[in-house]
Amino acid sequence: MTEAAIVSERPRPKRRRRRVTAGTVGQYLALALTVAFTVFPLVWLFLTSIRSSADIFSVPVHIIPETATLTQYVSVFVEYDTMGYVWNTVIVSVATVILVHLLAIPCAYALSRFRMPGAMLIFGVLLIMRMIPVIALAIPLFAVFAAFGLLDTVWALILSHTAAKLPVAIWLLLGFMQDVPKEIEEAAQSDGAGTARTLVQIVAPLIAPGIGASAVITFLFTWNDLLLALTLTSSKAAQTLPVGLTNFVSQFGIDWGAMSAAGVLMVIPTLVFVWFAQGLLVKGLTTGAVRG
Amino acid sequence: MPPVAQHQVSGRRRRSPLPYTWQRGYLLASPALLVMLAILIYPLGYSFIMSFFRWDLSGSAPFVGMGNYTDELSGRQFNQALRNQAIFSVISITIEVVAGMAIAVLVNGKLRGMRLARTLLLVPPMIAPAVVGLNFRWLFNTQYGLVDALLRMFNLPDIPWLNHPTWALVSVIVADVWQNTPLMVLLFLAGLQSLPQEPLEAATVDGATPWQRFWHIVLPLMRPVIMIALMLRIIDTFRTFDVVWLMTQGGPGGATNLLTVYSYLLAFQAVDFGHAAAVSYIALGMSLFVLGLLYGVPWLIAKRRAI
Repeated sequence: MTEAAIVSERPRPKRRRRRVTAGTVGQYLALALTVAFTVFPLVWLFLTSIRSSADIFSVPVHIIPETATLTQYVSVFVEYDTMGYVWNTVIVSVATVILVHLLAIPCAYALSRFRMPGAMLIFGVLLIMRMIPVIALAIPLFAVFAAFGLLDTVWALILSHTAAKLPVAIWLLLGFMQDVPKEIEEAAQSDGAGTARTLVQIVAPLIAPGIGASAVITFLFTWNDLLLALTLTSSKAAQTLPVGLTNFVSQFGIDWGAMSAAGVLMVIPTLVFVWFAQGLLVKGLTTGAVRG
Repeated sequence: MPPVAQHQVSGRRRRSPLPYTWQRGYLLASPALLVMLAILIYPLGYSFIMSFFRWDLSGSAPFVGMGNYTDELSGRQFNQALRNQAIFSVISITIEVVAGMAIAVLVNGKLRGMRLARTLLLVPPMIAPAVVGLNFRWLFNTQYGLVDALLRMFNLPDIPWLNHPTWALVSVIVADVWQNTPLMVLLFLAGLQSLPQEPLEAATVDGATPWQRFWHIVLPLMRPVIMIALMLRIIDTFRTFDVVWLMTQGGPGGATNLLTVYSYLLAFQAVDFGHAAAVSYIALGMSLFVLGLLYGVPWLIAKRRAI
């Protein structure tokens, strides 16, 4: 904003404006093309999900659906009984977010405030853990959970996602903790607040945006995960939506309409968070640029 | 709790070898650390050790030394997966970073609709790779898919996207590029907007062309952001599984087997956990090695120059 103010104060408005206009057309063109390429595949997914099956398997391809119908969505729930997958996914994602943050907030606080010996080792381990291919974790977890009889339960998924998402959450929260001035806490402590109270009543509210950012990211990456669910679950008792997507492939072919409808349903939480918590998401993705 | 002199009291009361604050620190950090130790580090260590055994869940697991690793490194399927992984990582990262930078530079400005564009750009990186995989599988369908339909409309020959080994790898790369380029754009945009303006204005005054400004000023200043972007993509391409699984399951004929997909197939189709664990550790080792090159080579060059 200040920059714009400075520009407008400058003399020679005529020449400047003409040059900007010429460049601006190109800029808008680039922006429009980028957005079109970004959005189009998703629009196509949506269009496929509202077509009738006859329309889906028509040659030549109709770009615009002949009729809009909800039959694919009905078949997702009636024929394929997808509600169970939805519930499992919701339970696993919500439980993971809660557990991760109950564990990560105190841990990040401890790492940012108490200079314990071994803190550097912990930082190093957190960084390495971020790089581990999920398959390297899924293989032994399959054996471990089999030994404990936890295979094919939502608990297997909740526990494994909690552990797998902890390093990123701790790392993100650490960044936000470091921005909280220590003086506020020292004031609270000199007023008699213990460590727990300082953390819950003083620090946590101050880093609420940070907690929000890491919660949204933890939720979406858990919601989206295919590999852990594919390895650790084998029945509808615990399978999640991404695994459910693979069930639309049968020996008779792929039910593209229902599969697209299920895909659209899977994308909804992302759209909701992107729309309503865009700031938190960007913060989460660019603070230390974490992912996964 | 009495507000006065709490520190003195607690300091005297607790006769512990550790200073007071350390205790608190360990106490607060320990639940998270214990969970990670039990569900992350212990299983990883376990599978690392088991990668030196014949491990097929049958009960007996004889020690095979480096056997699993040497088998894989000399095996045809592993080398195919390794080749696919190299092609996939190099091409998709190159396209994502170069296109991401180009788009970021082009749209960097105060444009109308920029906020909306940024919102839309956030969508692909945050949706499930599984959905991306299925959607591109549908777009690339040879009979009813949109892409071949468009090709036919312009009287171009059909492309057997997912049925041909080379084209299948191309398809997987396209899906990955579609999903991750927007993330690069957002990262680079954030970087561009925090650049200092003085050097750019000075260069303009000195009559530098836009290309010169970009090449000699913007790019060097953006180096830290580019390094982070490269690091993220290197880590993630070595972990790619979901997109490939929904698009091709590694086929046709192993043409799109990336290291993670190959490792999964070994473990859960061939029930050969020993080899699978070895492959997953080779994948980790390779991504660490590439990251080492990324950060080590510039460091070495800088050191050389200093001497």
